[in-house]
Amino acid sequence: MPARGGLVTLRVVKFGIFFEMSTPRPFTPEVEGAVLHNALAQARLADELGFDWVWAVEHHFLEEYSHCSAPEVVLAAVATQTERIRIGHGAVVCVPEMNHPVRVAERCATLDLLSHGRLEVGTARSSTWTELGGFGVDPDQTKKTWDEFVHVLPKLWADGATSYDGHSFSMPERNVLPKPLQKPHPPMWVTVTSPGTELDAADRGLGCLGVAAAGYAEQERRTQEYFRRIEQCDPVSSVVTKEVTTLNFLYCHEDAAVAAKTGMGMVGTFGLANSHLMWTREAYPTRAYQSLGNLAPKTDRSATGSPGDRFGIPEGICVGDPDIIVAALKRWEALGLTGINFLLNCVETIPQEQVLESMRLFAREVMPHFRDSSNEAGA
Amino acid sequence: MLSGTASVDEFMPDAATMADFATQACALPGAQVLQLMFETAVSGRQTSLPAGLHPTNPPSMVVQAWHCPESPWGEFSLAMARVQCRSGLRPRGFVQGCVVDNADAAIALGARWGFPARVGTVVLDVGYHDTHLVVEVEGARVLDVRALDPIPLGNEDVAFSTTLTLAHTPRGPRLVQVDTDLVCDRAERLVACTPALDIEAFGLHRSIVVRHPVSASLSRGTLTLQPLRYVCRPDELAFTGTESTSD
Repeated sequence: MPARGGLVTLRVVKFGIFFEMSTPRPFTPEVEGAVLHNALAQARLADELGFDWVWAVEHHFLEEYSHCSAPEVVLAAVATQTERIRIGHGAVVCVPEMNHPVRVAERCATLDLLSHGRLEVGTARSSTWTELGGFGVDPDQTKKTWDEFVHVLPKLWADGATSYDGHSFSMPERNVLPKPLQKPHPPMWVTVTSPGTELDAADRGLGCLGVAAAGYAEQERRTQEYFRRIEQCDPVSSVVTKEVTTLNFLYCHEDAAVAAKTGMGMVGTFGLANSHLMWTREAYPTRAYQSLGNLAPKTDRSATGSPGDRFGIPEGICVGDPDIIVAALKRWEALGLTGINFLLNCVETIPQEQVLESMRLFAREVMPHFRDSSNEAGA
Repeated sequence: MLSGTASVDEFMPDAATMADFATQACALPGAQVLQLMFETAVSGRQTSLPAGLHPTNPPSMVVQAWHCPESPWGEFSLAMARVQCRSGLRPRGFVQGCVVDNADAAIALGARWGFPARVGTVVLDVGYHDTHLVVEVEGARVLDVRALDPIPLGNEDVAFSTTLTLAHTPRGPRLVQVDTDLVCDRAERLVACTPALDIEAFGLHRSIVVRHPVSASLSRGTLTLQPLRYVCRPDELAFTGTESTSD
């Protein structure tokens, strides 16, 4: 990938951008369209600057927080407007009421072809009652259907005519078309919100796509356990994706005070929006959802703190001048992470030009600190 | 984020009066707690809350019923209707109607924790496969709802969001944060049925329309009402409107 001085370098830790498509009110076509087009511009710039991934979530009905209900459409646009960045479908909700597995296989294969083999397939089961209830999903079933999806998708991609008789769906012998460019299929991941899901990922040979903010100690524990477990995995196919990423925020500015003021506004807004989601556990008592998602305070009695509390800033946040961000990333890198994905904005609190400038500064001043010098020409 | 648009005055006629916030913890051993959750109409999501609170998406309401065989005021049963919301970042249930079948308990719950408690009839009938809650005020049935087919859960599987009451206080109208701990020794999930509910007679805001049931749970254990720590100005977002009771 391009780097300063024209060297061809590889990084140990990779960087991605992560789209929620959070959208400010009022939800007019102009506002919603601007969010989408701003994201496409960010993806094109990320491609030019040497970021490794662009991920788009799948969420439904989550007013303000995420209007990314058709990520495969967004990513098709990204695929045709970029040349080298990997396309992260992160993640497809693997419950049949939302996505039939055959349709998932078809859409992903098409995206892989359109992107000339750059697709990464994230899988998930949804965490909010807003979404599960909206589609009439039984929360007790989502882990089972996710597990079934991740086992059957590789077959639908790799095999010819296939029949299937399973728990959440069955189909007679059919050839699912098209087939992906990457053989036998694109790398597969699992979004990890709840502690323990990283083990589900490892046991199946899937990448661990962290979407919840864990502190350094917790992330180190999860990462070590993931890498230990994946050595003994029973993979869902011959492709083992041995990756652990975490989610962070990015706002980089030469002036640390400006960065803090602007960036922390974004972080606080995201935290507020996130805490206002209705997590499944709050609405529907079940063993299947043991924790609230992402960054939300717990509903349970352990967190009956002051309602005046502001959103707690997560550890190792990448908001600051380049030196601050390098220091934070070095610490994350030392934990063994293979990648870090960044939220760049939230409900457009940061003007688009500032977001793009933050990305440029990051690429110019921060990325070079994470080159793998052993791969540099002449090293 | 959306916030409420109701005038605080709309809630004050039924509000309890608290002389102070110097409340001690109160343990209620052997309590049964029935919790039923319902989605409500989007049309009422902002109009049913004061400006200091944020609605949930989807808007929702919880009916919670307690049967407490032991208390400082003797055996009592309580039923309350709460509009689910957020106070700042925190999940909360804003109590808009509360009926208690023991006059002494009603007075104490109002004076010490701000519950808008009225005396009435509350019958929580827990059967093998059918739990039935009936609430009557002045002879009129305001709620009749069933929950069926219990299945066992882990004791930590039921989430209870913290209660908010709105009371007349020496500082003026305040949302009172009522922290309740339930040390649960048995929990079940049930299927909630569509309720027969008289919204306004129960004390809920007139703009609330129940759409459909989501879930029900029945828990048993020791319920403890904790000392008060925080109150909030009802017409101001919690980030600036929160006050410590010890201030």
